[in-house]
Amino acid sequence: MANIISASHLTLGYNTHDADVIKNANFKIKKGDFVFITGPSGSGKSTLLRSFYGQLRPKSGTLLVGAQDMQKISKKKLQELRTHFGIIFQDYKLINEWSVAKNVVLPLIIAGYNVDMQETQAKRLLKHVKLSEHADRLPLELSGGEQQRIGVARALAKNPTLILADEPTGNLDEYSSNVIWDLMENANEQLDATVVVVTHRIPNIFSIPYRHLIIENKGIYEVH
Amino acid sequence: MKYIKEHIMFIFPMLAILLGIESSMVFDRMSRDYEKDLKEDYSMLVLANTPMKLSDFQQLDQRISSMNRIEKRTIVQEMAQGMSGISAEDIMQALPHFYTIHFGRYLDTQEIKQVKHALVASVDIKKVETFGKSHNSSYHLFVFIKVAFWTFVGFMTFTSLFLVIKQMEIWQFAHKERMQVMEIFGASTMLRSGILFKRAMIDALIATILTSGLFAFLRFVWTKQSHIDLLMQKEALLFAYKDIAILGGIAMLIVITSVVVVVISSKESRL
Repeated sequence: MANIISASHLTLGYNTHDADVIKNANFKIKKGDFVFITGPSGSGKSTLLRSFYGQLRPKSGTLLVGAQDMQKISKKKLQELRTHFGIIFQDYKLINEWSVAKNVVLPLIIAGYNVDMQETQAKRLLKHVKLSEHADRLPLELSGGEQQRIGVARALAKNPTLILADEPTGNLDEYSSNVIWDLMENANEQLDATVVVVTHRIPNIFSIPYRHLIIENKGIYEVH
Repeated sequence: MKYIKEHIMFIFPMLAILLGIESSMVFDRMSRDYEKDLKEDYSMLVLANTPMKLSDFQQLDQRISSMNRIEKRTIVQEMAQGMSGISAEDIMQALPHFYTIHFGRYLDTQEIKQVKHALVASVDIKKVETFGKSHNSSYHLFVFIKVAFWTFVGFMTFTSLFLVIKQMEIWQFAHKERMQVMEIFGASTMLRSGILFKRAMIDALIATILTSGLFAFLRFVWTKQSHIDLLMQKEALLFAYKDIAILGGIAMLIVITSVVVVVISSKESRL
């Protein structure tokens, strides 16, 4: 299987003069992998994820996402690269003035799909996350668990090759968390999407094979 | 309600700016017209020792554009009839030559003084009457109105621009998160700012229509009902069709600048 993410001597940090958050890390994530990245609070999990979608440039070393070198990637290429991602945030990052249905099809709007196609896909995606009856409501009218399901549906909208999730169940109760994990397992199994999840704790309900990377003392290690 | 409020918050300052601009265009047309009247009505009286041609006057001052010789024979003949022993020809010989001179543009009081000095310096010219006092008072009133008006327009534009900037800050606050989410999902700048552009363009269009409509009403309806002769004669100065294009262009320029500033300030910072 080809690598979808490849890091070599990767060092990450926010300012040149500040201490490094990740130092000299080496790892590879293959197409189709389901990867959990864990570590204590402040260990750099979210920082690492941000570097995958290009919000943070590597300080040194190499980080390849797809075939793109994230150090040198142009704005145009980054914009194009991001259209292949599905990103899920702990705080959902939904557009609160848009309806649930419109939020879900944001990646399709960006890709220029016509309105009919957007409506069809919105119905399909909302059915998939069991929120069909909420299509016309605003996100803030829904519970946290429901909002995160919209976030997952949005991430799956364009059959992404890579799903990046930052503490997707951090704010949710057990039931809602289980629903989210089920959806992510399905995405990995049925859509063959590579899934990278940053989390405090790996859920014990997990039924598919996965890899586990742990961040410790600024390094990234594989747990076997 | 929120949607209407958001529109009004931008239309209001935009309207104030456009009203200021349209008022200044109307005032500019009126002041040009008034200057033209002042220029055409104004002339200097010159008493010359010798007959003079236009080129003689122009050699003394380039600003002189035309001259008229004042015919004195008829008056002199009437005067001579009432006097014994003096012929009309003798009076004609004794009297200087009278001319009125005109100028190609409106002259201020300083320039009038300069022209007078240039003419008086010539040995051929005996006397120059500028009628400066009445010209001066008209001119000063005109200058005062002009200064007062431009001060008002300047203040109004400044205040309105401040309101537009405030509205932009509200927009930035309201749209920042949406634009950043869209950016993370790979949306282009045009797509991210499309909603703002659309909304602002509608507001600009409404403000342009309202401003043009108001001045068109003043020109085509109000002036006719006012029965004020001066306004009825000069009604064309109140509104011109080209004003719509000028106002629309300025409104679009303000809108584009505003949205670009909001978009730039909402851009994701890539560390």
